Amino acid sequence: MRNTVSDGPRTTLTAFYWAFILYLLLPLTLMMAMSFKDANFVAFPIGDWTLDWYAKVMQDKQFLEACLYSIMIAAASTLAATTLGTWIAMLIVADGIRGRTIIFALACLPAVVPGMISAISLRIFISTIDMPTGTAAIILGHTVHAVPFVVVMALTRLRSMPRNLVDAARDLGADGVVAFFRVTLPYLGPALLGGMIFCVLLSIDDFVRTFFLGGYRPTLPMLIFAKVQGGMSPEINAMATIVLVVTAAVGLYAEFITRRARTR
Amino acid sequence: MEPVVQFDNVNKSYGKHVAVDNLNLSIEPGKFVTLLGPSGCGKSTSLRMLGGFETPTSGRIMLSGKDVTRVPPNKRNVNIVFQDYALFPHMSVAKNIAFGLELKGFDNQRIHRRVSELLELVQLQDYATRLPAELSGGQRQRVALMRALAPDPDVLLLDEPLSALDAKLRQQMQIELKAIQEKTGKTFMFVTHDQEEALTMSDTIVVMNKGRIEQMGDPNTLYGRPGSVFVANFIGETNLLRSTVISSEGDVAALNWNGITITANPGGLTPRHGEHLYVVLRPEAIHCSAAEPVSGNRVKGKIRQRVFKGNHTSLMVEVGGGALLNTLVHPSDVAQLGGEDIWLGWKPETTTVIPDRHAHN
Repeated sequence: MRNTVSDGPRTTLTAFYWAFILYLLLPLTLMMAMSFKDANFVAFPIGDWTLDWYAKVMQDKQFLEACLYSIMIAAASTLAATTLGTWIAMLIVADGIRGRTIIFALACLPAVVPGMISAISLRIFISTIDMPTGTAAIILGHTVHAVPFVVVMALTRLRSMPRNLVDAARDLGADGVVAFFRVTLPYLGPALLGGMIFCVLLSIDDFVRTFFLGGYRPTLPMLIFAKVQGGMSPEINAMATIVLVVTAAVGLYAEFITRRARTR
Repeated sequence: MEPVVQFDNVNKSYGKHVAVDNLNLSIEPGKFVTLLGPSGCGKSTSLRMLGGFETPTSGRIMLSGKDVTRVPPNKRNVNIVFQDYALFPHMSVAKNIAFGLELKGFDNQRIHRRVSELLELVQLQDYATRLPAELSGGQRQRVALMRALAPDPDVLLLDEPLSALDAKLRQQMQIELKAIQEKTGKTFMFVTHDQEEALTMSDTIVVMNKGRIEQMGDPNTLYGRPGSVFVANFIGETNLLRSTVISSEGDVAALNWNGITITANPGGLTPRHGEHLYVVLRPEAIHCSAAEPVSGNRVKGKIRQRVFKGNHTSLMVEVGGGALLNTLVHPSDVAQLGGEDIWLGWKPETTTVIPDRHAHN
């Protein structure tokens, strides 16, 4: 009796929730479904099912090369961003540092600047210093973009670190470097691992910066873009599905790791 | 014997705030020394200066005959047990204890032997592979203690290490700490604001107040013969009787307190007529009875408050003019007091006299 009044808004809320889930998942589901279609056109009805497109993708030299190239760029930019980001986070929490708010704001800027603006300014920057477009420029761009995420994750963890931990290491005979590598870094470990996975995903996913900074060798998003330009085919669906499954798995794992780090 | 630790005219100030004010202190090897005082008295700062985490503004700190005033923490042979233990969360118990030994460059066999030896000392052999998060508070405390003892420091510094434990465990750890100190023969420098901890464990207590040493001595002396109002109030419970000198001859001074005449031993003081003095009268030195005592100081009073505390009952007795005396009575003796009107008596030699000029605190 009493529930008839309160159930109204609640039911509406639940309905909206499911509508939103549907809206999120429908395009992805369609894309995945089409990758199993045994025909050349991406359209209903699906009719016969096949795994041929996947077999084709796995034999596609262009696709495999683009994958490898993307992974290489992701690895390099992740390594650079993690090192830089950790260093900046350490600087921000260090004693006697003035202007830590400014350092923090500057470090986080690339995360909020629109990708387009960031890409254009990076392009202008590299031509100013006579740096050619290509691998090095892409890595530079991806690094700048990823640093803020490492800084935030490392900072959160650093701030929860008992102050005395480093003091204890120093007290037991460790100099600053040993204390960092044997105590601070292992303590940061889970947060950094989460941050690194995030960097990898950002880099693999990036299109705009790569487009402005890249040379002739295509990364994975650029290859898929080029293929889409030439017309849709279930092969592209298969490619995208592979990327989706792999990145989703990696992303979920990163979330799991950072969650564990927060509760520990 | 040559002191293992020596503070020579050590000062430490942060801007205008003086944390440690001209500290002079020497500590003999093998002693359990406690720096006792309220928060902000400079005890922790002194400890951190000895550990190397603070640099004195002026003065000199000697460790085993060497000047260590400006030596970084990793280059001086002292170790700290931190208040929050600061165990490395990603290392096992054994790894934590081995940390200092590895940095000293000991070989694996020697490290292993030393770690087992220390774990055995606190009966934690079965916990070697556990992580700190899997230990109880008391066990973490023991691991922190062993980690600090492992590299064989000249002095072990303990920064309020028992404050995170519950009351029962704290008492147990006090006894254990003292036993470990005696067994290892190490010099312990313990910092606390808890007077009971200080009394239980220390060979020497250094009472600090406002960055300065207020009084230093063994627990008996500090409790029985406090040198200042601050010390008398800080250590144990006390009745402070502000009195006026009537006459004084040798060991006996006649004083006027609250309208009655009492006698006390002025110690080394030579009080003049009319001068003000404080008489320190511990609650347990007062004897309560229904009949008037035949000798010593005595005063009639009325019981205002009774607090049953298990092994004793605390009585607040009003003795006229609004003055209250705090006394201790064995619970079974309370009934024999008869009514609310009782006599309080104490022997003059159980009291200590403190001059009023120290009473500015």
